[in-house]
Amino acid sequence: MKRSFEMHGTLELIHPSEQWDCAPMSFKAARQYTGVDISDFMEHVARQLSENSENTADGFSMESLSNETFTPSNREYHPRKQARTYYNNSDIDGGNAEELQWINGTQSYDNMINMTKNKSGDHHHHHQNDQQGLSLITLLMECAVAISVDNLEEANKMLLELTQIASPYSASCAERVVAYFAKAMARRVMSSCLGGGTIMYSPLLQTKAILSAFQTFNTISPFIKFAHFTANQAILEAFHQRDRVHIIDLDIMQGLQWPALFHILATRPEGPPHVRMTAMGTSYEALEETGRQLSGFARRLGISFEFHPVGRKPGEVDPAMVQTRRGETIAVHWLQHSLYDAIGVNWKTMRLLEMIAPRVITLVEQEMPPHSGQFLERFVGALHYYSTIFDSLGATLGCEDVNRHKVEHWMLEREINNVLAVGGGEEEMFGGWRTELVRRGFAQVPMSGNSMTQAQLILNMFPAMHGYTIQQGDGTLRLGWKETGLYTASVWTSPRLMR
Amino acid sequence: MDITLQAQELHYLTLSQRQYSHEQESMQNPNHHHQQHQITTSQTLESIDPSASGKWAEKLLKECAKAISEKDSGKIHHFLWMLNELASPYGDCDQKLAYYFLQAFFCKATESGERCYKTLISVAEKSHSFESARKVILKFQEVSPWTTFGHVASNGAILEAMDGEAKLHIIDISSTYCTQWPTLLEALATRNDDTPHLRLTVVVTAGTGGSVMKEIGQRMEKFARLMGVPFEFNVVSGFSRLGELKEEDFGVRDDEAVAVNCIGALRKVSVIERSSFIRMLHRLRPKVVTVVEEEADFTSNLDEFIACSEECLRFYSIFFEMLEESFVPTSNERLMLERESSRSILSVLACEGEGGGECERREKGSQWCERLTGDFSPMSFNDDGVDDVKALLRRYRAGWALLPAQGTDASGLYLTWKDEPVVWASAWKPS
Repeated sequence: MKRSFEMHGTLELIHPSEQWDCAPMSFKAARQYTGVDISDFMEHVARQLSENSENTADGFSMESLSNETFTPSNREYHPRKQARTYYNNSDIDGGNAEELQWINGTQSYDNMINMTKNKSGDHHHHHQNDQQGLSLITLLMECAVAISVDNLEEANKMLLELTQIASPYSASCAERVVAYFAKAMARRVMSSCLGGGTIMYSPLLQTKAILSAFQTFNTISPFIKFAHFTANQAILEAFHQRDRVHIIDLDIMQGLQWPALFHILATRPEGPPHVRMTAMGTSYEALEETGRQLSGFARRLGISFEFHPVGRKPGEVDPAMVQTRRGETIAVHWLQHSLYDAIGVNWKTMRLLEMIAPRVITLVEQEMPPHSGQFLERFVGALHYYSTIFDSLGATLGCEDVNRHKVEHWMLEREINNVLAVGGGEEEMFGGWRTELVRRGFAQVPMSGNSMTQAQLILNMFPAMHGYTIQQGDGTLRLGWKETGLYTASVWTSPRLMR
Repeated sequence: MDITLQAQELHYLTLSQRQYSHEQESMQNPNHHHQQHQITTSQTLESIDPSASGKWAEKLLKECAKAISEKDSGKIHHFLWMLNELASPYGDCDQKLAYYFLQAFFCKATESGERCYKTLISVAEKSHSFESARKVILKFQEVSPWTTFGHVASNGAILEAMDGEAKLHIIDISSTYCTQWPTLLEALATRNDDTPHLRLTVVVTAGTGGSVMKEIGQRMEKFARLMGVPFEFNVVSGFSRLGELKEEDFGVRDDEAVAVNCIGALRKVSVIERSSFIRMLHRLRPKVVTVVEEEADFTSNLDEFIACSEECLRFYSIFFEMLEESFVPTSNERLMLERESSRSILSVLACEGEGGGECERREKGSQWCERLTGDFSPMSFNDDGVDDVKALLRRYRAGWALLPAQGTDASGLYLTWKDEPVVWASAWKPS
């Protein structure tokens, strides 16, 4: 099993091919823009919308935003990479003169004509692209409003337009985001037209591709490592001088996180503890495989290790299935994602946590409105969130990069679809995990300076000039891109424990 | 088929059947219906793990088409639902086919084909510039001989038929933005005898803006000047259907040798007008008519939805696969071609008659042969022409081959992709 704390290889910069240009469309709400990241725009919109939140959906009007001139904050403007013709002739057979003439016939004709034209500079191209991208976002938002008031016909018309124009391979991050959001909304509208609600994708659907994309995401982006390493640090601290420990991972997937922790535990001055692991997940076979890998790894490190797979979601688990033993120190870990519904019923999970009474709960959440909220609120939150991730990917990887496409299509598209889906929300207002933990009397443990150091070290693995930011506040650690926080790590302890 | 696959299929079918009987029972209670629908469907979906069993789209789409032709509302809902869950225009071939056919089937089932088509066409026109459209065509020609095959074959036939003529008039009914002609102009310029005078009349169907043709005309004129070929460029436009065209519209002069070049043109003529259109071409007294068409039949099964959708699926599966293997995974040009195909699919499957705008009812080479024979008789491609095509194919990736038409009434040349005939090129002279 690949050790997750290894340094990843240097990122390859791939030059994008020529920009895709379409004539800019005219929309009702024209915006004054210079080329900025769309995450700035979304910050602005999100602020506007939260100020307008008293308005009912009917009263929500795009016009209130239309006359705003948005001035970007004083932050460095990142120029896009030089557009360069990426096509080369190398796969065309040299052949004889006759063959060459055929190709040259068309190309030289082309070149001759182009030489007489004044090609617009890259900057202008970029500026045009962003205009296009941001116009698309405007239309997308209008479409979301239509959906929120059940005007499916209007929404459908706008989606026909959006899905014909926006390309997920564009040099403009905004356009890529729109392409996937439009597709997700089209799925939702189609479902509604067919007379039902949309549900989250099953975790068993296209699993291999999803997990592979998740691993790729781990390689090209620091968020997963941030989650793993800050959590591991907190767990390590909670396990200080304990010889019997029990880790409960609420959604282990492939267990990428744990080898790093095992390694540290193995090299403790007092020697490794006895480690028990209870792993939850939806596919029993996958859990067994993960167990095999982790057991092998632990054995090689000389750690005595027990693995208990529980093929259920934590919200569907009979508490008796989770055995705790006297004298063991328990850590519960959960990394939130939206690839599928990993938890099941929220309040049952909370109750399980109360019963287990762990010494430490490490929680890493995505900064998005809870799933049970109103559609429009969820939409704006999701748009803001995913625009930011797309921006972060676009800052280091070219628009033709296959890994970037893999992550965007298999992972992010999947998440966007799920976040916009109806369903799961039969529960009363669930205000987010941190709020719930507080409500149930769990005590927050501030993230230690060591965790902060861990986070910093991870960021150093990625090219320094890019805009990842770590914020500290309310005892949490938040990793984001530019001003937008994306993943928040927090640590909790059970109120029942005296120690 | 291996056992796991069979088991999966059985599982899927059993669940589907169970769900149908559920639906019969729960017709009274819509909420119950939805919940059951969702739960069973998600279980069914799991049993189709696309990474395990390829070609799931074909199976699902065939079942859906059957349900639509039987007007079985419950089944239609079920299959559209499943397609909706699995489809994506940004995934692999199966996901793409599922996505675009889902759209067509949905419009068919809700009788909203014409409206949807009109919206799509107007959006496409608004967002495409001359530059973007040209980029797509050129990139496609670079990575695949799909269009260049027809160009090379036709140019060869035209040059042979016009050998020795001093005044040439080529009537071009195609949609490849004159990318065919530079090579022909070069060939004319480098002929041993005197360079002939060339008139090029381009027939513009609705959808190509006037500014586009102006741009093209200027480029062609410049190129001809550079080649030293006396050249005249004309545009015929302002009609809504190709079938409306009359021989007077082309302004053919008495002392000219006429060649008519139809690349993907005949399929755009309304089915009922095809015979008279061909007769009209005959009245132009051309030295040669070159016809290039994609090898698919959406005409003889006009009124048979299942047969037509299966043929559509067969053809576009090949086309999408070919696109996937020819372009890089993140190609915008490929995306444009796929979207263009989706409009064709919608037009063929969900639009009644030809009210949906531009006709896209393809016919196979053998069918065109039947139509053309009588007014015209076939001309075979000479050896040089065939050699040119072979040389062309060598410069692309493996998988492409040439196949002469077989059989007594057949004529022309086929371009094959993985041994499937995909494009047919032929040349005709008036009989």
